[in-house]
Amino acid sequence: MAVAIAIRVRLFARLRELAGIETESLQLAPGATLSDVYSKVRQTHPELPDRSSVRGAINQEFADWSARVSDGDEVAFIPPVSGGL
Amino acid sequence: MRYHVTTGPLDPRELEAAVTHPGAGAICTFTGIVRDNSRGRSVTHLDYEAYAEMAVPQMRKIGEEIKQRWPGSRVAMAHRTGHLEVGEASVVVCVSAPHREEAIAACKWGIDTLKESVPIWKKEHGADGTYWIEGDKARPTAG
Repeated sequence: MAVAIAIRVRLFARLRELAGIETESLQLAPGATLSDVYSKVRQTHPELPDRSSVRGAINQEFADWSARVSDGDEVAFIPPVSGGL
Repeated sequence: MRYHVTTGPLDPRELEAAVTHPGAGAICTFTGIVRDNSRGRSVTHLDYEAYAEMAVPQMRKIGEEIKQRWPGSRVAMAHRTGHLEVGEASVVVCVSAPHREEAIAACKWGIDTLKESVPIWKKEHGADGTYWIEGDKARPTAG
């Protein structure tokens, strides 16, 4: 039990520039949520904004902050989007 | 390709060709163009960044919902990324339907929804600096 899970984190646009990284590999305790992942990323990158203006995605799908991540997941943090015209 | 993100120029006619069929009496095409001003500032050029692995499935999801809401419709969407000059097309949404009302309504719903939910971001370059656009906010870039 209590084996760590490994995930890949991706940051985009302003979040990517603020943190200075595009992608990061993280180890977390089993049962970790999207919220836990973002807190952990912010510990090493305190320039990142609080999560009120950020959405999370797990494996290319928007997910709630309470969603659990699993080993091998791709987790992305997404600032407000501005595609289109 | 019905849904794509590309660094190359967009051709609205190509998307129209992808949705046309004998039962379609109308095609509505929305093309978004890079403008030379934004929020009272001049804009010299833009950079678009996409989470392409998610943006394309999100666009497909919007297309599927359009087909449910407006039976008989067909949809194609494309978004350009990278460096864009003023006057170039950044996005195209194209919907065919039996009649014009559905085609126009579905196309409007499609571009409105794309702007809310597809993970693509715009960076504006202008005389007074460079800004990331986040929803309705412009945030100066870090560097």
